[in-house]
Amino acid sequence: MRGQVPYLLGLGLIGFFVAFPFVYSAGDYDYIMHILITAFFYAILAASWSMLAGYAGQFSFGHIGFMGVGAYTAALFSHYFWLSPVPTELCTEYQFGSTWLVIVNPIGVTSSTLTQDCLRQALTAWDGSVEVSRMPVWLGIILGSIMGGVFGFLIGVLVLRLRAAYLALFTLGFAEILKATISAEIEITRGQAGIELPALFEDGVTVFGHAFSKTDKLPPYFVMFGLLLLCLAILAWLAHSKFGLFVRALREDQDAAAALGVNTTRYKVLVFVITTMMAAAAGAVQGHYIGIITPNNLFLLQMSLVVAMAVIGGVENFVAAAIGAIMIQVVLEMLRNSFVIGGYEIDMTIWRLVFFGIILMLTLRFARNGLIAPMIDHFTRGHVAHETVAKRVATEAEGTE
Amino acid sequence: METPFIFWGAILWMILWGIIGSLVTRRRYLQHDLDTSNTVFVGAMLGAATGPVGLVPLWMKTPELTNRLIVIPAIGTVVLIAAAFAFADPQNNCVANGSFVASQITNGLIIGIIYGFMALGLTLIFSILGVVSFAHGEFYMIGGMLVYFITAVWFPGINPMIAILMACAVVFAMGAIFERMFLTPMYEGKIDRPVEYGILITFGLAFTLQYFVQATAGANPVKVRRYFDFPRIRLPSSDDPWLIKTSRGNMELFDTISISNPRFTAAITCVLVLGALLYFLHRTWTGKALRAVSQDRDAAAIAGINPDRMNMLAFALGGMIAALAGALLVQAFSWLPQVGAIPAMRSFVIVVLGGLGSLPGAFLGGILVGLVEAAGTGCIPDAQKAASYIPAYGMVVLTLTLLLRPTGLFGRRFASGTHGKF
Repeated sequence: MRGQVPYLLGLGLIGFFVAFPFVYSAGDYDYIMHILITAFFYAILAASWSMLAGYAGQFSFGHIGFMGVGAYTAALFSHYFWLSPVPTELCTEYQFGSTWLVIVNPIGVTSSTLTQDCLRQALTAWDGSVEVSRMPVWLGIILGSIMGGVFGFLIGVLVLRLRAAYLALFTLGFAEILKATISAEIEITRGQAGIELPALFEDGVTVFGHAFSKTDKLPPYFVMFGLLLLCLAILAWLAHSKFGLFVRALREDQDAAAALGVNTTRYKVLVFVITTMMAAAAGAVQGHYIGIITPNNLFLLQMSLVVAMAVIGGVENFVAAAIGAIMIQVVLEMLRNSFVIGGYEIDMTIWRLVFFGIILMLTLRFARNGLIAPMIDHFTRGHVAHETVAKRVATEAEGTE
Repeated sequence: METPFIFWGAILWMILWGIIGSLVTRRRYLQHDLDTSNTVFVGAMLGAATGPVGLVPLWMKTPELTNRLIVIPAIGTVVLIAAAFAFADPQNNCVANGSFVASQITNGLIIGIIYGFMALGLTLIFSILGVVSFAHGEFYMIGGMLVYFITAVWFPGINPMIAILMACAVVFAMGAIFERMFLTPMYEGKIDRPVEYGILITFGLAFTLQYFVQATAGANPVKVRRYFDFPRIRLPSSDDPWLIKTSRGNMELFDTISISNPRFTAAITCVLVLGALLYFLHRTWTGKALRAVSQDRDAAAIAGINPDRMNMLAFALGGMIAALAGALLVQAFSWLPQVGAIPAMRSFVIVVLGGLGSLPGAFLGGILVGLVEAAGTGCIPDAQKAASYIPAYGMVVLTLTLLLRPTGLFGRRFASGTHGKF
C-alpha cells in the first residue's frame, strides 16, 4: 500500500491542476495562470533534460537551443507560409486544388525602409477583396518538433564520441552558434527584434459550448498541461521499458553496455532525438502562447534555470524534475517583491536568484538526488534498494581494501 | 562579395573532400592496424587542401603520420580558404588594404594574448582537478568589478596596481574557500560522476555570483579610467617620417597600426605574469608539485605531496588568473555583471583547441582564436553581421576541433585522475 502513495499523490496533483483554473477566481487570475503555463513549459524542459542528463548521462547544455529551434521553426513557418484563394502573381506560390500556397519573401525589419513583402503588396492591390489565411498553428508546432528532432539527431551523431566536459562544451557551443546566427540573419529572423507568432487560437476556440477569445488563458493552459502530461507519459513509458534500462546502462558504463550487446550508438542518438523533440515542442507552444520569440530567449540564463530546476527536483527522476520546475517557477514569481530589513530595502527581484543559486549549490553538495526525488523514492522503495547503492557499496569496499 | 559562388563553391568542395578524407583515411588505417589517433584530422585536412590528388597516395601508402604531415595540410587548407576568399572578393578591405590587414593582425595578436592568458587559468584548473570551471567568466567579471569599486568607490585615488593586487587576493581567497566547501567530495569517490558534478556545481557558483554582483552593484555599466598614460614620444626622431608615435591613450606604428593603451598594457602585463607563472611552475617546489599532481595524482601523493592542497591552490590560482585578466581589461571595456559570459565561452574554446590541460596549448590557442576573430570581424563584408557573429567564430573553431582532433593541439591522450576520459 505504501508503494502506491506516490501514484495517488501524482493523480491528486493532476486533478488539482485540472480543477485549479475552474476553482480559482481571484483578481490576479490571468497572472497566476500565466505563471502556471510558464511553469509547465519549464517542467517539460526540465523533465526531458533529466531524461537526457540524469538517465542517459549526456550532460547537454544545448537544451534551450533545441527549444529555440522548435520555436523559431514554428515562427518562421507561420510568418512565411500563407494560404490564398487567389494567386498573388508576386510571390513564389504553388497551387493545391483551389488554394495557393504563398511563400513570402524575406525582407527583415522594415522600419527604416518602405518596402513591403510581396504578400502585403498583393493585399494592398486587392484592397480587401481577398482573404488570405495562415497555416494552421498545430502544423507549425508539429514541424517545430520534427525540426527539433532533426537537429537533435545531427547533434546526437556528432557527440557520439564525446563525453562529460567535452559534451557539455560542444552543446553549449551549438546553442551559442544558433543564437548568434539568429541574431545575425536579420532579413529572415528579424534579429534581436524578435519574430511574432500568432496566438495558439488566433480566432478563438469553442469548447463544450463555451467560447474563448484568443487572449483567454484557459485554452493555452490546457494545451501546455496536456503537452506536459504527454511528455511525462512518454518518458515514463520509455523509462520503464527496455529503452530506459539500456540508457541507464549507457550512463553507468558505456563500454560495458556495448560489450553486453547494447547498441550504444542507436540509444544515444535516440535519447537525443526524443528529448530534443520534447524541448522543441514546448518551445513552439510557448512561442505561440507568448506571441513573440527573440534570440534572448536562448540565453544561457534560461539554460541555467532549466538545469537548476532539474537538479533541485532530482535529476535522476523526471517526475521529480517536473514537479521541481513547477514549484521553483511559482516560488520565484511569488518572490518578486521587496522588503525592508534594518533600514535597507532589499529588492527581491534580483536577490531571489542569488538565493536560488545558493540553494542549487547546497542541493548539489548535500542532497545529490535533489529534494523531491528522495521523497518519491522514500515511498516507492521503502528506504532500501536505491538504484546506485550497489555501486556505492562496491566503491567503498574497494576503498577499504 | 562580388562572386560569392566562387567562395562558397570552394568551401563546399573542401568540406566534401574533407569528410571523404576523414572517413576513408580512418578506415584505411584501421584496416592496416595502424595508429588512428591523427587520421581523422590529417585525412580531413589533406582532403580539403588537395582533394583526391593528396588522398589517393595517402590511401595507397598509409605512411606514418608525422608532425610534418599533420601541419602542412592544415596550413594548406587555411591558405586555400584565404585564396578562395581573395579571388571571390578582390575589393574587400581585408584583401586590398594592406595596412588594414596589418592592424587587424596586430590587434588580433594582442587580444589573443589576453584571451590565452585567461584560458590558462581554466586549463590549470582542469589539468589538476579535472573540472571545467563554468564560473571562470564570473571570476573575470568580479576581478574587474572589484578594481572598479576599490579605485572609484571605496578608496578613491588609490594606485591601480594596489587595487589589482587586492582584487586578485580577494578572488584567490574566494576560489580557495569554494574549493574547500564544494569540491572536496569529488576526491573521495563519494560521487558517481565527478566530472558532471564539477560542471554543475561551478555552474551554480557562476549563477550565484552573477546575480550577487547584480544585486549589490546594480546593472549599470561601470568603467575605470586607464591605469597609465603613455609618455608622448616620437621615434626614431621628432621629425616627420616617424615610425612610432604615442599619445596618452594610443600608440601608432608605421602610420598604419593603431594600438589602444589599455589593451597594450593588458597584453604586456599578461606576458610578464605568464613569465612569472612559468617560473613558478617550473622552478619552485610548489609549482613542481602542482605539475606532478597533474601528471600522476597517486605517484605525487607517494612522493609526499598533498594532492588535496594542490587542488585548492590550483582552483584559487586559476580563478585569480581570470580575475587578473578582468582587472586589466576593465579599463578597456565597460563592465556589467553579465560581462563574463563571452570571455568564458572563449576560454572554453581556447582550452579545447589547445588541448584540455595543456598550458602552452592554451596560450597558443588564445592567439589563434584572437586571429580568427580579427579575421572574422574584418573580412565579413556586412559589418553589422560580422559583429553579431562574433560569439560564433570561436564556437566554429570549437566544433571543428572536437570533430577533427578532440585532443586539441597539445592534448594528452591519457591524463591522470578523473579527466583521462573525454
